[in-house]
Amino acid sequence: MRKLGLKLLVLGATIGSAFGVAACGDSAGGKEGGTLTGSYAAFPDYLDPGLSYLLEGWTAMYDTYIPLLTYAHATGEAGSKVVPGLAKSLPKISNGGKTYSLTLQKGLKYSDGTPVKASDFTSTVERLFKLNSPGTSFYSDIVGAEEFAETKKGGIAGIETNDATGEIVINLTKPRGTFVNELGLLFVALLPSGTPAKDLTANPPPATGPYVITKAERGRGWSYERNPYWAKANAELVPEVPSGHVNQIEISVVRNDSTQVSNVEQGKTDWMQPPVPSDQYASIKDKYEGTQFRIDRPINVYYFWMNTTEPPFDDLKVRQAVNYAVDTAALERIYSGSLAATHQILPPAMPGHEEFDLYPHSMAKAEALLEQAKPSDLDITVWTDNESPNDEAGAYYQDVLAKLGFNAKLKTINADSYFTVIGNLSTPDLDTGWTAFVQDYPHPSDFFSLQLLGESIAPIYNTNFAQIDVPALNKKITKLGEEELGPEQEAEYAALDKEFMEEAPWVPYGNNTLSTFVSSEIELDEIVFNPTFGQDLTSFQFK
Amino acid sequence: MAGPAGGSPWRLAWRRLRANRVALGFLGLFVLTVLFCLAAPIWADKVAHTGPNDTHTLQKIEVDGEKRDVVNVEGKPIGPVWLGADGKFFLGADGRLGRDEMVRLMYGGRISLFIGIVSALITTILATILGLLAGYYRGATDAVISRTLDVIWAFPVLLLAIALGLTLAVGGLQIGPLHLSGSSIWIPILIIGLVYTPYVARPIRGEVLALREKEFVEAAVAQGAGPLRVMFGELLPNLWSTIIVFFTLAIANNMLLESALSFLGVGVQPPNTSWGTMIATGLNLITSAPLLTIIPGTMILLTVLAANVFGDGLRDALDPKSKIRFEAHSGLSATEGSERIEGIVP
Repeated sequence: MRKLGLKLLVLGATIGSAFGVAACGDSAGGKEGGTLTGSYAAFPDYLDPGLSYLLEGWTAMYDTYIPLLTYAHATGEAGSKVVPGLAKSLPKISNGGKTYSLTLQKGLKYSDGTPVKASDFTSTVERLFKLNSPGTSFYSDIVGAEEFAETKKGGIAGIETNDATGEIVINLTKPRGTFVNELGLLFVALLPSGTPAKDLTANPPPATGPYVITKAERGRGWSYERNPYWAKANAELVPEVPSGHVNQIEISVVRNDSTQVSNVEQGKTDWMQPPVPSDQYASIKDKYEGTQFRIDRPINVYYFWMNTTEPPFDDLKVRQAVNYAVDTAALERIYSGSLAATHQILPPAMPGHEEFDLYPHSMAKAEALLEQAKPSDLDITVWTDNESPNDEAGAYYQDVLAKLGFNAKLKTINADSYFTVIGNLSTPDLDTGWTAFVQDYPHPSDFFSLQLLGESIAPIYNTNFAQIDVPALNKKITKLGEEELGPEQEAEYAALDKEFMEEAPWVPYGNNTLSTFVSSEIELDEIVFNPTFGQDLTSFQFK
Repeated sequence: MAGPAGGSPWRLAWRRLRANRVALGFLGLFVLTVLFCLAAPIWADKVAHTGPNDTHTLQKIEVDGEKRDVVNVEGKPIGPVWLGADGKFFLGADGRLGRDEMVRLMYGGRISLFIGIVSALITTILATILGLLAGYYRGATDAVISRTLDVIWAFPVLLLAIALGLTLAVGGLQIGPLHLSGSSIWIPILIIGLVYTPYVARPIRGEVLALREKEFVEAAVAQGAGPLRVMFGELLPNLWSTIIVFFTLAIANNMLLESALSFLGVGVQPPNTSWGTMIATGLNLITSAPLLTIIPGTMILLTVLAANVFGDGLRDALDPKSKIRFEAHSGLSATEGSERIEGIVP
């Protein structure tokens, strides 16, 4: 999940040549150096770029691990632009959209001094498949990737590299209109060859970005220092990535959101990653908007998924009934007004969005459909995480199901492990539950291919929680994913949105805003909110 | 020769207890709390007209003739309306879900009390059996039981309970054909009952070791009584006063532990409510609706205090010897001395 922002920030940057320290240059009013303190409400799913698939993890690693391509360090639409990362330039696309050629910058180093090689890209991609990473679906079209995914042996034939020249050639089995975007994701941030194919959260791998994670204690926090090889080697070669203003960053996990707010207000913490909790939203906004608080608008959708492979949700009428029964207006209140109600897949501002509502709230219609369906299995487990107000959204949903006559039990899982639990298909009673999705990149295929495509169902790290697999719709997703996005494709995505909602694998209920809240010591206007990666740690600067 | 006036030890104990007005007062408070919670279905059905888990986010109610949102558009729940809506939302709504706080307080109390009492029963039954076996058989039996209890005792109670709660939260507990789901309230009952067992078993073992040497045990053995007859027919009746005192004190301890576990999310699982979960829910709204945290916290305080004070009074009534011995020889008060020897304070 990633975040989208509103304001465009301009950071002046000058490259320092001082030994061991990258002087990132002067921005108006800010000073260089210092230790930034921040807090998260939960430890990220992983601090391993090959595994993390949550906003919290991507925010944490955006400035640590750099792929061949990256996203511009800018807020809003400018931040959706793909720019060169460790590669010299954007790829040359040939062979009818099936071949991507890039060249690695020469002289790059990891934070432990190891030279970055072209073949590291191959081993990084192979590692994803060895890990059964949730990111593998983005790269499954590489020639040989599917075979490698099965056997984990023999390498991925479709990636050719030359360490001497730095050339990297990627051959796909078919054209893929989103591949440039996907090359900018952290999943393929280069790691040294030989990086173990296991979760490295406790001991994160060497970095290529301006910061390196020096310590990580799951559940408690982690720390960054400047990457010693950023100034010495990488900064000049990766001009699109700023060097950062602060020297150190200390992040701690503070589970209570109110405590985080109070810490920021008192200046004990400089920044809180989660949005301000809803019960304090109005008062914090009134008091600090423009000075320490601002609203950012990511592109996301919040929804309840229903397992379409098991009763009772294997019955379309039951799923449609639940859609009629959920009142999105109630959920708007549960989110204290920060959520805008929706009943469809694509959010506003996403290309292909055309507003519609197939299931305006009606308990009468819901009950009538259930009467027709007569589900035999009334025992349902409703999953949700323990972060407010998502847990309350889950409790509301459980109450709606109970009012429909189901024996609905709520299961609340710690946010640290929620997606791991519901993404593991061997977890028992995966009937229905809460989730939210923020765009990976500004392309409607992102919303469909990961969450609604039959092929994306995976035994672990699954992201198609509804486990929906409709061949006709799969074909449309795949076909549209191969094409460049234009008006015709946007219209087709709008139609696809409606077709999926007719299948009703989800109950989408809202698009949420997020907030940035910082202490009085931080330059609020300088903070970049990238639509894919959230707050950019290189943009934090003390007054 | 005439015996002492008043006769049996139980009657004497009752007289001593009756004289302890403070203990009786707190017993009354405890009983009132229990009755308050038992009245939950009546209040929910006849007054509030809602269940503990029913949400009313979009509902409006009439309070003193004025229509008000149960939850406003900013997500702020309605505060206590007392009798302004004929008893509905007497203490207000519990948060953005708009559930009736009074109904949840009463139902939550039922669960907290049920868990506290049943887990205390489990603790005392398990502890009595283990204490009897260890104290009577001594030797290898005592060694195995005592070392096992030592292992459990070595873990801080709260951490052990959290670890067990987390482990069982997702998959539940399977004991033979019996399966308890992760959200069953029997999970925290069993966990709490188990973790406090050593604190009761050890003192009971100590008493059994002492009683075992008495003449009446020798006499029973000489008459051909087997081990079970001696343990349950001769020793156990002499332990009743100790067991009863431990039971009442265990209720208080166990309710506190349940509140802590539920507050941390590893005890009672939502949407079921206990006073601990209500405090956790209220914490999200601590700045805008502090009563949501204060009210259940106060209920826990009063109930645990009542159980503790009554338990102390009961101990003084049933076991005055410990009071006299400690005051005369050690300079410790009965409470201090008893708690040390009992190990009831972890």
